[in-house]
Amino acid sequence: MSIGILSIIIFLPMVAAFILMVTPLPSRATRNVAFGVSLAIFALALYIYTHFELSGLIQFKEFYPWIKSYGISYSLGIDGFSLIILMLIATLIPSAYLLLWKNERSKSYWISMLFIQSGISGTLFSLDLFLFYFFWEAMLLPVFMIIGLFGSGNRVFSTLKITIYTIMGSLFMFVSILYLGVAHYYEFGMWSFALSDLVNITTIAREQKILLFFGFMLAFAIKIPLFPFHSWLLQTYSNSPTGGVFLLSSIMAKLGVYALVRFMIPLFPDLFVEFSFYFVALGIFGLVYFGIAAISQMNIKKMFAYSSASHLGFITAGVFALNLQGMMGSAFLIVAHAIATGGLFLLVGVMERHLGIRSLSALGGIAERAPWFTLFFAIMLFCTVGIPGTNGFVAELLIVLGIFHYNPYLGVLSALTVLVAASYMFWVFQKAILVKSDNNVSNMKDLSLHEILGLLPLAVLIIAMGVYPDFFLYKIEPSLQHYLIDILHVGVK
Amino acid sequence: MMQWIQLGYLLPLIIVGSGAILLMLLSPLERLSMERFSLFTFLILLLALGADFYHFGELFTSFPMQEIFSKMLIVDSYSVYFDALILSGALVTSLIGTHYFQIKRHFKKEFFSLFLFSVFGMMLLVHANELLTAFIALEIASLALYVMIGFQKIHDKRVEASYQYLVLGSISGAFFLLGTAFIYAGLGTTILGDIGKALDLLMGKDVSLIIIGATFILVTFLFKISAFPFQNWTIDVYDGSPLPVTAFMAATFKVAIFGFVLRLMLIDLDPIRDIWDTLFIVIILATLLYGTFLAIIQESLKRMLAASSIVHTGYLLIAFVSIGYAGESASSSIIYYLIAYFLSAMGAFGLISYIAADEHIRVTYEDFRGFAHVHPYMAAMLSIFMLSLAGIPSTIGFVGKFYIFTGAIEAGYTFLAVCGIIATFISIYYYFKLIALMYFYPACESEWDDVPSLRGITPITIGVIAIAVIWGGIGNTFIAYFPGVDFLIDTARLSYMSLFIK
Repeated sequence: MSIGILSIIIFLPMVAAFILMVTPLPSRATRNVAFGVSLAIFALALYIYTHFELSGLIQFKEFYPWIKSYGISYSLGIDGFSLIILMLIATLIPSAYLLLWKNERSKSYWISMLFIQSGISGTLFSLDLFLFYFFWEAMLLPVFMIIGLFGSGNRVFSTLKITIYTIMGSLFMFVSILYLGVAHYYEFGMWSFALSDLVNITTIAREQKILLFFGFMLAFAIKIPLFPFHSWLLQTYSNSPTGGVFLLSSIMAKLGVYALVRFMIPLFPDLFVEFSFYFVALGIFGLVYFGIAAISQMNIKKMFAYSSASHLGFITAGVFALNLQGMMGSAFLIVAHAIATGGLFLLVGVMERHLGIRSLSALGGIAERAPWFTLFFAIMLFCTVGIPGTNGFVAELLIVLGIFHYNPYLGVLSALTVLVAASYMFWVFQKAILVKSDNNVSNMKDLSLHEILGLLPLAVLIIAMGVYPDFFLYKIEPSLQHYLIDILHVGVK
Repeated sequence: MMQWIQLGYLLPLIIVGSGAILLMLLSPLERLSMERFSLFTFLILLLALGADFYHFGELFTSFPMQEIFSKMLIVDSYSVYFDALILSGALVTSLIGTHYFQIKRHFKKEFFSLFLFSVFGMMLLVHANELLTAFIALEIASLALYVMIGFQKIHDKRVEASYQYLVLGSISGAFFLLGTAFIYAGLGTTILGDIGKALDLLMGKDVSLIIIGATFILVTFLFKISAFPFQNWTIDVYDGSPLPVTAFMAATFKVAIFGFVLRLMLIDLDPIRDIWDTLFIVIILATLLYGTFLAIIQESLKRMLAASSIVHTGYLLIAFVSIGYAGESASSSIIYYLIAYFLSAMGAFGLISYIAADEHIRVTYEDFRGFAHVHPYMAAMLSIFMLSLAGIPSTIGFVGKFYIFTGAIEAGYTFLAVCGIIATFISIYYYFKLIALMYFYPACESEWDDVPSLRGITPITIGVIAIAVIWGGIGNTFIAYFPGVDFLIDTARLSYMSLFIK
């Protein structure tokens, strides 16, 4: 039995974590190993990226039967859409490690991070719905640990809350998956949970299909989080440690969007088209709602939490716009948002460590004390706001174009709402960083070499993708076209 | 000669029965210590399990010594499978209890004899092919349990639990007897198999007498597995019993009861099973609801586990109503879930009983605050059991729930599956609360001084169970010839099939 490259990406961190767990290594060595593993995965991801063929097909497939009597298999593979998220994870996680380098002294922190990385990759590669659910849930446990062990404030309550909340969503997805499996059994006389088999089911009545659709949608909406399933968001983000927020906002939320495209479109193409209007509208509503909520927050971490949710509404709207611009824009914004928001949360983590305060009113004049910090903060912020020259601009432009194609009124609305983000982001930048105030920020130190090294690739990516987007788009375009033309039967406009 | 070969089929039963008598006779001897008795019990169970495995995985049905026993006893793949479960349960109980019985000095040597009698009764129950035999088997198992619960006479809680179980259990036993009488009056036979045939002949005519009788028998069944509305005894009795006995009742006794009732329902009551469907749906909803409610409000860990066992009964009953429409997958899912629950509950109860020291009895949630920082391995094992009970992927509890809910959907009970799912995600709260308390708070070191370190047979057993719980969730043919998930399902299906060979 040979082991494929995707399996190595999944299981390398897990094996490393288990070994680290039982060996009495000091936490510093643990961190170095974890960083080494993340670099190795980056190398493997690069290999996949360079060998990925320009087609809409699933590549790097692996298949082994798992529970034969129910047709459940361990089957992996990636297409262009998973590829882009894979590259994202592979780049972001080493960067995050570099930023957390000095301040996280506990061994179990690094071990949890390794476990999370395994779970994320597993979710990303699964082609069997049972396997997908398996990783989807397994991903949650280390998050539970990392928030509960290293969080602040009322951390135990917020861990229980996010756990029950997300498990509620995923359990409804679980019932839907089982229902599809049973339907396949009744129609074809054999069990299967493979996506490629389940899409052939024809016997499910429309009413049942709608229920199943929303069963899946609930799980993804909670993970994203889409309005009105966001009530776990604020507390979890503000009580989580830096690494936890980073993973939740820049990676796990994206997996919600990923799963939406990867599973919902092939399984329920007609319903996806039919309900698309509501979700575009809901996405734009979320964009506005969370934007306004962000303006009214004085706590900087909570503010970024809302701004992150606001952009995820934008991404969702783009996915449901049913055209190539919208979808490309969403894929692009997934990357841009992950880099920028992730970077911002990491920078807020740095600020929190030095100053111990997170309220806007207690900040001011940081620019003078920490020029590097200010530089990176500015780049991330510009990307979030969508200043031309950053990848945020390209992404937002594409999505707005896509929504215009879909529905001009919604397009105008979405274009205007970009202003909301711009206003509060610049306000934060001015108030907290630039303008001097009476507040004492003398404890603020500039970024260390590790932190600069960690943020540099992110900043470079933001600019590079903003200046020359085509280089990054061509790999995913065939896959997205495949979704639109072959599955949704929507022509590329 | 033929007879002796047939007797070989009953060998596990004979070994356990004569072992129980032997231990009873030996118990007055001063020279033999408690530890010796514990070892004897273990060896007898191991021997019986070995004898049982001789026929494991074969597809057969036979009535041994038919001239003497008539058709009272049956040996088939199904009963062999359940014997294996019960014997493993007893074996694990005896291993886990080793430490407990050593520190609790009030246990006498007779305890082990009673324990074996109880195992004997349970095994007899799954071999019973006749209602009266089943009644006798049930009473043998229960009577021994009544005494085992109240063994610590000075402890009021124990005596009370013992009495409560004795009185309520006897009443429910009387229902069984009454039900048997009605069935005999209606059909003229109490032999399983013949009941089904006689019932088939009566179809179209008035069968209300049989329905009443069978309903009475089901009352006993619902009482023993603590389903609504017969669940009230559960928490007090489980809480009042010594921990290894609680584990034995919660896990192994349930297996035996299901072993008999599945046989009865699948074959004999098949023609009239549909009439209980609505009733069962109500019972399931009430069981899930009430059990969940009870589990949430408990402060004590032992009582929470007892209450959650009611919820698990609810899940099992979901599969139980599904057997009418998806017989094979539903019954094998019951069998699989019983294994899953048995492993997880056994591990949890076992570990708590190991931790519970003599002076300071730790049973509440609060007692486990910060436990993980002092005893990381024990906390990790306890977490695994909680995750499995909650049905989180990569544990056997998840696969168990997967089968139950697929079976329910296959049978058209999607609504029940959704209710089960809702109960599951509420259960996350009371299982994860323990994990959160163990890991997320600092520990006060001194409090844990008297916890025994990981040494001896008990922690090894619990560790093996923890590995089995994980293996049952991910296990597969990755390792050639090592039984994984598929193996368990296949043997469960095989034992189901043997029920229909006549």
